[in-house]
Amino acid sequence: MAIKTFAAIDVGSFELELGIYELSGKYGIREIDHVRHPLALGKDTYNDGKISHELVEEMCDLLNRFGEVMKTYRVQDYRAFASSALREAKNSRIVLDRIRVRTGLKVRTVNNSELRFKSYKAVAARETEFLEAQKSGMALIDVGFGSSQISLFDEGVLISTQNLLLGVLRLSEMSSHWRVNNSLIPEIIEEIIDNELYTFKKIFLKERQIRTLIATGESINYMVKRGMREKERDRFTAEEFRAFCGRLEKMSLEEIEERFDLSRDYAEILVPSAILYRNVLEITGAEWLWTPGITLCDGIAAEYAQENRIVKFHHDFDEDILSTARSMAKRYKCHGAHVREVERACEMIFTAMKKYHGLGSRERLLLRIAAILHDCGKFVSITRGTESSYGIIMATEIIGLSHLEREIVANVVRYNIQEYAYDEVMVETDPSQYAAGVSKQDLNILIAKLTAILRLANSMDRSHSQKLKDCRMAVRDNTLVVTTAYPGSIALEEYSFGQKADFFEEVFDIRPVLRQKRGM
Amino acid sequence: MADVLEKYGAPENYVNRELSWLEFNYRILGEARDKTTPLFERLKFLSITASNLDEFFMVRVASLKDMIHAGYKKPDIAGMTAEQQLEAIGAKTHELVADQYKTYNRMLLPLLKQHGLRIIQSHEQLTPEEAAYVDRYFEESVYPVLTPMAVDSSRPFPLIRNKSLNLAALVRKKKGDGELEFATVRVPGVLPRVVELPQTDGEKAIIYLEEIIERNIEKLFLNYEIISCHPFRIMRNADLSIDEDEAEDLLKEIEKRLKERQWGEVIRLEIEEKADRRLVKMLKKELSVGSGDIYEINGPLDLTVLMKVFGLPGFEAYKAAPYTPQPVPALMNDDDIFTNIRKNDILLTHPFETFEPVVQFIQKAAVDPDVLAIKQTLYRVSGNSPIIRALAEAADNGKQVSVLVELKARFDEENNIIWAKMLEKAGCHVIYGLLGLKTHSKITLVVRKEEEGIRRYVHLGTGNYNDSTAKLYTDCGLLTCDPQIGEDATAVFNMLSGYSEPLAWNKLSLAPLWLRGRFVRLIQREARNARNGRPARIVAKMNSLCDREIIANLYDASCAGVTIELIVRGICCLKAGIPNLSENITVRSIVGNFLEHSRIFFFENDGDPLIFMGSADWMPRNLDRRVEILFPVEDGRLKERLIHMLEVQLADNVKAQYLQPDGSYEKPDRRGKPPVCAQETFCQEAVAAAEEAGKETDPASARVFVPLRQ
Repeated sequence: MAIKTFAAIDVGSFELELGIYELSGKYGIREIDHVRHPLALGKDTYNDGKISHELVEEMCDLLNRFGEVMKTYRVQDYRAFASSALREAKNSRIVLDRIRVRTGLKVRTVNNSELRFKSYKAVAARETEFLEAQKSGMALIDVGFGSSQISLFDEGVLISTQNLLLGVLRLSEMSSHWRVNNSLIPEIIEEIIDNELYTFKKIFLKERQIRTLIATGESINYMVKRGMREKERDRFTAEEFRAFCGRLEKMSLEEIEERFDLSRDYAEILVPSAILYRNVLEITGAEWLWTPGITLCDGIAAEYAQENRIVKFHHDFDEDILSTARSMAKRYKCHGAHVREVERACEMIFTAMKKYHGLGSRERLLLRIAAILHDCGKFVSITRGTESSYGIIMATEIIGLSHLEREIVANVVRYNIQEYAYDEVMVETDPSQYAAGVSKQDLNILIAKLTAILRLANSMDRSHSQKLKDCRMAVRDNTLVVTTAYPGSIALEEYSFGQKADFFEEVFDIRPVLRQKRGM
Repeated sequence: MADVLEKYGAPENYVNRELSWLEFNYRILGEARDKTTPLFERLKFLSITASNLDEFFMVRVASLKDMIHAGYKKPDIAGMTAEQQLEAIGAKTHELVADQYKTYNRMLLPLLKQHGLRIIQSHEQLTPEEAAYVDRYFEESVYPVLTPMAVDSSRPFPLIRNKSLNLAALVRKKKGDGELEFATVRVPGVLPRVVELPQTDGEKAIIYLEEIIERNIEKLFLNYEIISCHPFRIMRNADLSIDEDEAEDLLKEIEKRLKERQWGEVIRLEIEEKADRRLVKMLKKELSVGSGDIYEINGPLDLTVLMKVFGLPGFEAYKAAPYTPQPVPALMNDDDIFTNIRKNDILLTHPFETFEPVVQFIQKAAVDPDVLAIKQTLYRVSGNSPIIRALAEAADNGKQVSVLVELKARFDEENNIIWAKMLEKAGCHVIYGLLGLKTHSKITLVVRKEEEGIRRYVHLGTGNYNDSTAKLYTDCGLLTCDPQIGEDATAVFNMLSGYSEPLAWNKLSLAPLWLRGRFVRLIQREARNARNGRPARIVAKMNSLCDREIIANLYDASCAGVTIELIVRGICCLKAGIPNLSENITVRSIVGNFLEHSRIFFFENDGDPLIFMGSADWMPRNLDRRVEILFPVEDGRLKERLIHMLEVQLADNVKAQYLQPDGSYEKPDRRGKPPVCAQETFCQEAVAAAEEAGKETDPASARVFVPLRQ
């Protein structure tokens, strides 16, 4: 059948969710069932650092019931992801293994940037509205329990994304400690948000034109579906939303419970959430608020459909990742022309060497990111540039990359200059999280390969003057022949190229040779 | 909202629900007294008043007694304490019982005799031939199953079973000290209570079993002299209120309670009017019943026996013409039920139309290879239910079958436990109800994997999935594959399986979480429209109306100028036609051959009428303590049909009785108006519609052959 039945599981910090989807080229992504059950994993992790035995049992029971639902729909494939509570628990590996043994489900942990990227994909899966928003200039705010993510776009491509420690639960938790009159709380929350957003505004927002603010997150779904349901749509003018927030902020908790039909727990987070959305709306100056009403499960399904080419997206998500890396490079004042040249050379080498390195498109993406960011550390310290680059990459979230992928990029950048450390190359993340059966050794080799390519590409623009812009490449008789017709001196490049050739040969068993054609 | 309650919440604006219920039973008695009702139907109505009264005692009176024992002092909606209510009920019930027997003795017995059925009131009236016959019958069939029990110092007073019919005798040992003793024997339930006597003149004569035993009582107590002998019957406290929080295993708990039920406190003693005072005194003492709870009966005890008399063969001329539920026009073709549902939503009106499609819906789903899952809530199921069999078969065919079996359905637990266990054995996923809530909603969901993906077929109803009662109760059902209702139905079953509520509902409203608010908002919207000079009208049909908040809002809407027409079969705590309170509210109750059971709600909505149906009455128990579903009917043609049905019921002037400002009910003045009987009209309409549809599809009637083309 042309329709694939897919299940997405989100093991969240407060709730377990299962979404059942039908994926097809013809009808796109359709959710056909969705179940949720509260489970306070976060409480265990944040209080004790690990998840208790009882909770693991409860989680497994629940996941087994999810399995029953999946069986009912004859689900053909699934993805299960666990976010912060399980990821940060000390005993996460044991827990994941327990789950696998007891339920047969393989659950992967994901970090914030991967998570947000999935949600973002679910938004992009709503193509018509997404394109509409894209055209007009857009920003995306995804509000979570612990933190929020703001993403900015330029010409429809993601250029920057920022995690802010402004989660609705965090805010309502904070406000519960203030001993002030309830009516003052919105004002104080507003001050906190203002402070937090100030930096963001200074660094990222500048003079950007934003007409549509895309708002996602569970709390906005409640606000819209329950509080603004008389509007019967998911696009609101800034004025409408402002008025709604104004009304909401004046309501007592009891009124919110009553009006929104919510339990006390949810009612409590609605006011901080509204203030947060409203403030972001104000600083972006957007005229429209679009609430696509997506969940993480929707994102998991969208990503699966995209990666397995079941549904064709017009949007290029790799471009989003690259462009955020580029704007990061720009922020650290990297040499634009040089960076572009190195990235281009990397791609050329990667393509020419395809038969010999055996790497795929994802690795190519990592290589390009490494190329883009290879010099960013100079911003901090010219002399200790590599270490700084490593530090910056490890400290900066890059949307769409897993922690491990980021580590790979950071290491490639580090060993671009530093001597390669062979078995000493350190990766903190459990490599099996990357793909089944991947070992540390495999990762070492991957890093070595990407490093070898980056080094060579970097050497080809040693003078930062793009002399080899016209070069061509081909592999012949165990040599990678790089030919250029550059008329002037390429002595610096030749010297540097020669230096990197040994390591390249060591890794690929292919000797790179640089040839300058004269008199053409 | 609070101010509406404040404004209209005073006790004097409400009627006590028990007294209103007794009014309802009076209306049924009215049907038994109505000369235009066929004679044997009158017997049936009288029998119903008796079984109703039994249940009323076992549940409501018992509950009031419990309140008193528990020292519960809170007054009811009408400001009455439990004591006050019991007192009022007692007086009115004694009156009702007297009226029941007046009806029986003075109206029905003579008429029955006139039309060829002689009911022999007491064994003394038997002819010698008849007497010989009953004595032989006693010796051959009755004597062997009797267990006579005498009470003396060595033998304690025996357990008298709830609702059982017994004979009490005052006896004296033939060779004793002359002391009077008590003896009793139970009229066996295994033998028919109505015994037909052979007649030569072609007429029929019957006598009740207790009379035969009484006539032969000496044969049971051979060593005793019988001083007097009279039938008696007791009623015990039988309301089950299980504390679910404490019950470890709900199932076991209910099974245990079933056995306990017959041990409850005696809350009513019925005994023959002319009974020996000494005997009454003994019973009163041994059973510890209060004087007010003793009912002295002028006639046979337990008039539910009249249902058996009704069932005697013959006398067809004195019964209502039997009605056969009609086929549903939308399904009268060669397509399968799923194809037909895809064409249009289908409205089912039982018993005018057959319940068969509902059974077929599940049977078909059970064998359809494309069906993935069947989910259903079952409240009261008939014995040997075809639905249960179909569900078991579906599980056998590898479908995922989830069934919520409500064990807390009153007086039906034993039945339900058997089915539930059977289903579980067959591989169905059975949920035994929800903690603290009764699942009263009637919903079935069939998930089918089709070419274009999953499609959901849903049946929603106002009545139980019970093919037997569907022939007697008026109920409505909707078959639909509307994706939004399908999505909601899925969410309902997810919630019933313990998952969180959905973010939002498309079309369904669920009790206990959302339904009350929905109704209140719908009523308030009409009030608002009326205040703004817009057309505003509410028509609501249900079984009972006794929710304080809803009634207060109806009063408010009435004062705002909303026309409110209520069709409430049973209890109605609302006062109609009271100036400055409910001038614009009319209430009528239809008591007919079929039990009115559907719940239909109409809201004018400023010219864009909304029609809902559901499983819930406007009672606190439905809105606050049960899982109920209200669903909209949106298909234009179906809406028209339902509006038509409501209009016909509003026009009923044969079986409808109108609530008067003083709380009594009266039949409307029919002068100058043609008689309208809603139930009869619907029967005729269903027959006509089926005939019409039959013509369309019957190839023989077309006179032109239609060649099939590929």
